[in-house]
Amino acid sequence: MYLSQKHLSRRTMLKGVGVTVALPFLEAMLPARTAYATSAAARKVRFAALEMVHGSAGATVVGTQKHMWSPAATGKAFDLSGTSLRSLEPYRDYLTIVSNTDVRNAEAFELPEIGGDHFRSSAVFLTQAHPRQTQGSNVRAGTSIDQHYAQKFGQETPIPSMQLCIENVDQAGGCSYGYSCVYTDTISWGAADEPLPMVRDPRVAFDQLFGVGATAEERAKRRREDKSILDWVTSEIGRLQRTLGPVDRARLSDYLDDVREIERRIQKVETFNSSGEQRALPGAPIGVPDSFSEHVKLMFDLQAVAFASDITRVFSFKMGRDASGRVYPESGVSTGFHPASHHQGREDRVTEFAKINAYHVSLIPYFLEKLRQTPEGDGNLLDHTLVMYGSPMGDSNVHNHKRCPLFLVGHAGGQLKGNLHIKAADGTPMANAMLSVGQMLGLDLPAFGDSTAPMDLNAAASLTAAQ
Amino acid sequence: MLNRSLLLGLIALTAATLGLSASAAQAPTARRAAPAPAPSHQTGDLQTLSAAKQSELVSTYCATCHSERAKAGGLSLAGFDAMRSHERAEVVEKMIRKLRAGMMPPAGSKRPDADTLEALTAALEGRMDEFASVNPNPGFRPSLRLNRAEYARAIKDLLELDVDVTAFLAADTISHGFDNVADAQRISPTLLEGYLRAAGQISRLAVGDRTATASATTYKTSRTASQHRHVDGTPLGTRGGLAVTHVFPADGDYTFRMMLHAGPTGQLYGGPYAGEQAEVSIDGERVALLDINPRMDEADERGMNLFTKPVYVKAGPHRVAAAFINRFDGPVDDLVMPIEHTLADTNIGEVFGVTALVHLRDFAITGPHAVTGVSDTVSRRKVFSCRPTTTAEEAPCAKAAISKLATQAYRGSLTADEVQGLLKFYDQGRADGGDFESGVRTALQAILASPRFLFRLEQAPTTAKPGQAFALSGGDMASRLSFYLWGAVPDDALVKASARLVTPAGLATETRRLLADRRSEALSTRFAHQWLRLQDVEKVRPDYHFAPGWDTYLSTALVRETELFFDSLVREDRSILDLLSADYSFVNERLAKHYGIPNITGDAYQRVTVPDYRRGILGHGSVLLATSFADRTSPVNRGKWVMEVLLASPPPAPPPNVPALEDTKGSAGGRLLSVRERMEQHRANPACQSCHKVIDPLGLALENFDITGKWRAKDSLVPVDAKGQLYDGTPMDGPAGLREALLKHQDAFLLSFTEHLMTYALGRRVESYDMPVVRAIIRDAAKTNYKVSSFVVGIATSAPFRMGKLEPAETTTDRPIAR
Repeated sequence: MYLSQKHLSRRTMLKGVGVTVALPFLEAMLPARTAYATSAAARKVRFAALEMVHGSAGATVVGTQKHMWSPAATGKAFDLSGTSLRSLEPYRDYLTIVSNTDVRNAEAFELPEIGGDHFRSSAVFLTQAHPRQTQGSNVRAGTSIDQHYAQKFGQETPIPSMQLCIENVDQAGGCSYGYSCVYTDTISWGAADEPLPMVRDPRVAFDQLFGVGATAEERAKRRREDKSILDWVTSEIGRLQRTLGPVDRARLSDYLDDVREIERRIQKVETFNSSGEQRALPGAPIGVPDSFSEHVKLMFDLQAVAFASDITRVFSFKMGRDASGRVYPESGVSTGFHPASHHQGREDRVTEFAKINAYHVSLIPYFLEKLRQTPEGDGNLLDHTLVMYGSPMGDSNVHNHKRCPLFLVGHAGGQLKGNLHIKAADGTPMANAMLSVGQMLGLDLPAFGDSTAPMDLNAAASLTAAQ
Repeated sequence: MLNRSLLLGLIALTAATLGLSASAAQAPTARRAAPAPAPSHQTGDLQTLSAAKQSELVSTYCATCHSERAKAGGLSLAGFDAMRSHERAEVVEKMIRKLRAGMMPPAGSKRPDADTLEALTAALEGRMDEFASVNPNPGFRPSLRLNRAEYARAIKDLLELDVDVTAFLAADTISHGFDNVADAQRISPTLLEGYLRAAGQISRLAVGDRTATASATTYKTSRTASQHRHVDGTPLGTRGGLAVTHVFPADGDYTFRMMLHAGPTGQLYGGPYAGEQAEVSIDGERVALLDINPRMDEADERGMNLFTKPVYVKAGPHRVAAAFINRFDGPVDDLVMPIEHTLADTNIGEVFGVTALVHLRDFAITGPHAVTGVSDTVSRRKVFSCRPTTTAEEAPCAKAAISKLATQAYRGSLTADEVQGLLKFYDQGRADGGDFESGVRTALQAILASPRFLFRLEQAPTTAKPGQAFALSGGDMASRLSFYLWGAVPDDALVKASARLVTPAGLATETRRLLADRRSEALSTRFAHQWLRLQDVEKVRPDYHFAPGWDTYLSTALVRETELFFDSLVREDRSILDLLSADYSFVNERLAKHYGIPNITGDAYQRVTVPDYRRGILGHGSVLLATSFADRTSPVNRGKWVMEVLLASPPPAPPPNVPALEDTKGSAGGRLLSVRERMEQHRANPACQSCHKVIDPLGLALENFDITGKWRAKDSLVPVDAKGQLYDGTPMDGPAGLREALLKHQDAFLLSFTEHLMTYALGRRVESYDMPVVRAIIRDAAKTNYKVSSFVVGIATSAPFRMGKLEPAETTTDRPIAR
């Protein structure tokens, strides 16, 4: 377990109480938080932000009339059949649909920005900030909501946050319409000028999360090696310290603290593995699988196990790439994603596009089921997770950013009741919902992006007035 | 062990005396009687200013602005007493710095004549030097740990392996421009875990891994890497693509995948030209020729990928290249000339009249499948320096091989205990893996995780008291010296010579030997690279609208040019002032084309004479690009660079809430404004003026160089105006004018060079108490007309480099953990 070093020196702490009881300290070391301090469990909320590009068929004129994306009824008595969300029916108790919100910062503000929606939108989704149009290195958007969370609480887990994606990315040079590729390639921003690279290769993600080694035995063997090396390093340091000056002695003591920290981490993994409640830790994947659904599922496996073992509590997962022409054979549609999204508003083609939307959503239950099957505290992991899925585009045929897809799954540590469809008043910024998500995660955000007010995510009627 | 403690005892005994004599060597005793040492170019008898006269000058010319009330620059010099200037060493050294650079008193204010000012400066210096000669302070720094560059180099020397350390170790914290400043080096669990992971992986890569299972490694090409030309490392006759040194873990089958770029609608970018082919080669030999289907589409089952059949490859590092067959050469006569980015915008490839070629996106190596064993490699020969033929030979053989590895990795001898400790790992690995090799590998893993490998620990004599200085042992000196000059661990010859390093003469001899060795190119790739901030070059990716001639390879070439240029100063032992004024540089074909230098062909760099405007470092595209923004030049960045890098006088940080230049009007009268016009608009604010009238003219003098360092006559349709006034009022025009101005204030430049080199050499920041030593080194260098070697040797033989000091430890340390 990682402890935040901002408030108490680790040494002071280790001296005072001993290393084995790490958890109680955590509380002592955390700054007192306002409304949040009362709900310690909420801090452990796992947050996964998933993005799919190209909006939804439901945002078109015909799609709105036919309720292709979100159901007709608001409140609790909604019917998902016929919508693109139908595969979520088994999880409706965990589901909060937020429909009819807009991502206005993804719109063009100036003349040269018109038409560049595909190359700007993804940067807006989790930042709700308007990206600066540039092909150069002077990129600018905003800090994304997942990173706000990771920066505040991420030090409590071995890995503060992790960024995953499915499609290939470049991270350099320009894309189209005068936008740098980073706007298209990542949804996570550590700061307004710090786009974070996303990991596409499940093997790379796996090694980072669980350690190197293709099989469980191999990893166990490597852990044993590391442990005996750490033991030995401890005695080596003791021996070396005798011939060093006081500052160097102190420096090596710090190093020794780090050695113990790593030992504790290894211990933690082993405890987790031997507790009998080990959910099949996936075998290390070779690389990027050819099939989209296989790739997505692998990424979900990793996220579920990382959440379960508390290696990290924050994932952002970019499941598509703007203007990608990928064909999803399993959706039953043979047209590429981007061509299908330009359906000209024709009902038959809009209906086709809705099938692709439904297919994308249908991959989520795989993840949800894994979380629900994992016991955690007095319930399951899904009770303590907040999965957010959405798109920064609305009607992709005309590249608008109105009535964008967004739903939340999970009880977020009891803060989110679920079984709810909230239809926002026309013109409500998606940022309002994200602001509330942020607050639910314990962030002291006065505002987020172009938010006008927080949105009550547990009430059917959105009281947010459009502005 | 006996030897070591004896040695330590001896050092302890002699420490105090050595401490004094070493420092005294810096400031000759004669100077104690005559307080003011004569700086290089100074004339006559003016140095005999009395202390009262000095105080009076300060009171008249400085303390009017630097008064108790006004506190200009946060400094009050009211009641300044020159007699007691050593009590305010930091302030006085700051005064000396500003006076030497000619920055104070500012142009337009009342100032004494030049000779008086010079005399005052010399007198202030003299007092500080005198005080230091009786109160020597060699300074202190904690032990260094290996940073990324040193770690990679150590692995290369130890195991002949090129590893990508960025995969293991977090980026180094830069302090005062350098990545090797001890007290800025963070130690965190993340770092330790990185070292551990690296030890596990690297030890396996070095010996090969019979049990390796398939995994994929992906290498990327930048979209801004031109695919029109031959790429260094790929076979001749190809264009674009990439070349990497990949370490194959075992003999077996591997597959290779090239992924190509698609346009926004999913079709192959750079198509459709029938007959395009790509090839994969290993160590220059083609292993696969792949046809590119011009109708390739993202929606295809295999997407934009080209796959090879399984290829049998032997273990160890191999140079793997993936590139396209070059089917045409010579100039392209397009309606729209191709831009070097080649892939700035995927739409461009779809426009008729533009030659756009297929562009590699990434390249993946997957394997091994069907492992047949592990062939002999150069790394394995390094690790298994002894090979047993019978079981009985295994144990002694392991001991020999492991001791050899550890001695080199630890940069010093091993104790019997240490050998025993490592042999336990051999036993464990031998039992776990079932053979000799697994045992040695496990011990190697431990060696790579050992604090003796990772830290450059320096021994303090057991009798040394806190605050006391002591001479470093020969072994520790050998380490300091080789990291300073080679960025690497000492070689055998240096280890053998270590006993001689405790005398100044022996030290100077070894320093000259190391300097003459090719490996001292680390002074340019490590020291100069950081001093001149070449690492900033890759952070700027110019917008193709403003710099169509730029691509990633141009940036690479620009950096290389500057490194080669600095290396020539070292190799030829030129005057460091040539850095500002040399009339030559190094270019390859790509760079020559960029600079407009004719008749240079090929990838190799050649020495050329440059036109007057491009003389010296100020004409280097690397610096000019690194100080620009993506879409415009930045006279402020360039001026700031000159002040920080060349003049050792960083400007103060801007106050908060300063509007950006971008907030000024970008156009007027239907025309984009030039950068100078926008700056003048911006600078109209009097609050900004006081600093910017110092910074900006330095950068505006370079306005004839565009973002990428190309010469230009106009900016946004108006002729470039590169005139301005240096802070002391001297008029300047263009790069030549700036060069003249800097040479006029060469004292500041020499100080900056010495201070930076010393920071790098010592692994700590240079403090005010070091300044007397810095001045002594410069004075000595003046005798050789400032040859590079006299600075290098001067620093190596200085007290701060040769001595350690015990500092009391803090009671608690607060260490932030890296995110």
